[in-house]
Amino acid sequence: MSDHLTLNEDERDCLQELMNISYGSATAAIAEIIDKFATLSIPNIKTATLDEFKVYLQEKLDHGKSHYVTNQLINGTISGETMFVIDNKSTVNLGSEFDLEEDELVEDELKDVVLEISNIITSTTLSKFSELIDASITFSPPSIKILHSIEEFHEHYANEYSHIIIISTDIKFEDQHINGELLILSKDESILYMKNALNRLLEEF
Amino acid sequence: MKYLVTDDSKMARKMIIKSIQDIINEEDEIIQATNGEEAVSMYKEENPDISFMDLTMPIMDGFEATLAIKSFDPDAKIIIVSADIQEGSMKKAKENGALGFIKKPINPDNLKNMLMKLGLL
Repeated sequence: MSDHLTLNEDERDCLQELMNISYGSATAAIAEIIDKFATLSIPNIKTATLDEFKVYLQEKLDHGKSHYVTNQLINGTISGETMFVIDNKSTVNLGSEFDLEEDELVEDELKDVVLEISNIITSTTLSKFSELIDASITFSPPSIKILHSIEEFHEHYANEYSHIIIISTDIKFEDQHINGELLILSKDESILYMKNALNRLLEEF
Repeated sequence: MKYLVTDDSKMARKMIIKSIQDIINEEDEIIQATNGEEAVSMYKEENPDISFMDLTMPIMDGFEATLAIKSFDPDAKIIIVSADIQEGSMKKAKENGALGFIKKPINPDNLKNMLMKLGLL
């Protein structure tokens, strides 16, 4: 990766803070939907190169489980794509929490729940983030796939990006955990825009 | 009253319908569309009183659908329901003819207030 595209420590810290604020809006949105006690953990945010990202996924994703992966293209000042990755068990738990009956916990219904939840999390987070760095984004409709191996993931996604922002969070209900990962894959020109915006903010404060 | 609810997600449509349950009467009717194109043709056939419209949808998005419906019926009452809360998106939706903008997830009280404010209740 070119040096001019690498975020330094201050820039990463600033990005993490902006993402925390942005993700906070999504947290509030999800809390509004859930009418029983639920909390979202403070997100763990990191930036990664493609190689680091592959290692991260290798370690993070349970190889024995299938995963629901939603994918949404973004365009505008920040361009690239976003992904929301959630394992099968968490998806079934999510469906139950969102009032799906036992006989509705089937693939198509679960895909619809994951698509809508990931759409709210992604759009709310990125809308807020773009506002904070004075950018504008348009969203394409999301699509969803069920992947059964890490190889399938690499085959379908993320091969053209040098920078990936990983936001990992847990939705904790009273009796169960639901883990989801929001991934923001940005093109190089977007990273340059973000770097400039982060530095403007760093100078300001 | 006839309501048109447009969203590609069944769950999102259910959430909107649940939010309007306590403000609608028995004789009111709710019709549903899954994308902008379907919404436009459904609007022309059914002539709903109020339309709720998502923005990010396949085939035709909510911006285009709003514009198309308003070209057909300048009096159409369209309220956008979206998680895309950027100022630019809200501005564009209004420029295309939307009367109001409600962020997802829809809050029944906010919806009621907006409908009252717009004189639709």
